[in-house]
Amino acid sequence: MVVLSAARWVRSRLTDRFWRVQEVLKYARHFRGRKNRCYKLAVRSVRRAFVKSTKARREKKRFLRALWITRIEAASLEHGLKYPAFISNLIKSQVELNRKVLADLAIYEPKTFKSLAALAQRRRQEGFLAALGDGKEPEGIFSRIVHHY
Amino acid sequence: RGGGQLQRLQLLFSRGGADSRGARQFVEEAASDFARQHPDVVVYISPRSIPAPLLVAEYLNGTVREELIASKTSEEIVQLATKLAGHSGLDIIRIRKPFHTDNPSIQGQWHPLTNKPSALTVQGPRLQPQ
Repeated sequence: MVVLSAARWVRSRLTDRFWRVQEVLKYARHFRGRKNRCYKLAVRSVRRAFVKSTKARREKKRFLRALWITRIEAASLEHGLKYPAFISNLIKSQVELNRKVLADLAIYEPKTFKSLAALAQRRRQEGFLAALGDGKEPEGIFSRIVHHY
Repeated sequence: RGGGQLQRLQLLFSRGGADSRGARQFVEEAASDFARQHPDVVVYISPRSIPAPLLVAEYLNGTVREELIASKTSEEIVQLATKLAGHSGLDIIRIRKPFHTDNPSIQGQWHPLTNKPSALTVQGPRLQPQ
């Protein structure tokens, strides 16, 4: 016999309301105020928290890049170079290190960073000589491009 | 290190009890095959009067993981057991960084006096203020 709906005199009670509520409250435990205890307030707060964390993943990349740039700027200023000069001359010397790695080197390997700053400074001077003293000085060594074919 | 990190697998089920039916079928048919396929795992079969049948997995680093096997078929329990045998005992949470070093700095971590002239740091008996 196929029964498509329950009989009218059968009623069902919700028995696991506690666990359904705890599923939401467990994400709200570290919140401030009543929204870490009261389900009605917590539902709204938890949903907004999830939405914000989803959207913030795009912002995190921008934020971290800005942090790295700040750190590289501070480290290169210690060696007498400004950030745009440092980065542009490193690129021109074919040193393809990204900002994350440069920031880590500046923190954990200060001597390596000093040598990179010296390289950028030398390349900068060669660039000035090539632009200003045309034809009289020989071509700079660090300005040569290596082709990896 | 190397090889499976699962130490022992305890199967707790009840002799009667409708939700332990899959567990009892697993014990009859597939438990010995599973034990033979994973020789480094010790399998304990304990029929007890517990409310819900459990599969308790203990790993070499001490983590204990309990999985409910109530109203699961024998094949599902085999799949679950093989999945647990493939895990290491590390917690299943979000990994913050995919890398870790105990020695991050080889040249010495930067501190405010790294790039300053050493006249500021050296305290020698002959160092006179010029």
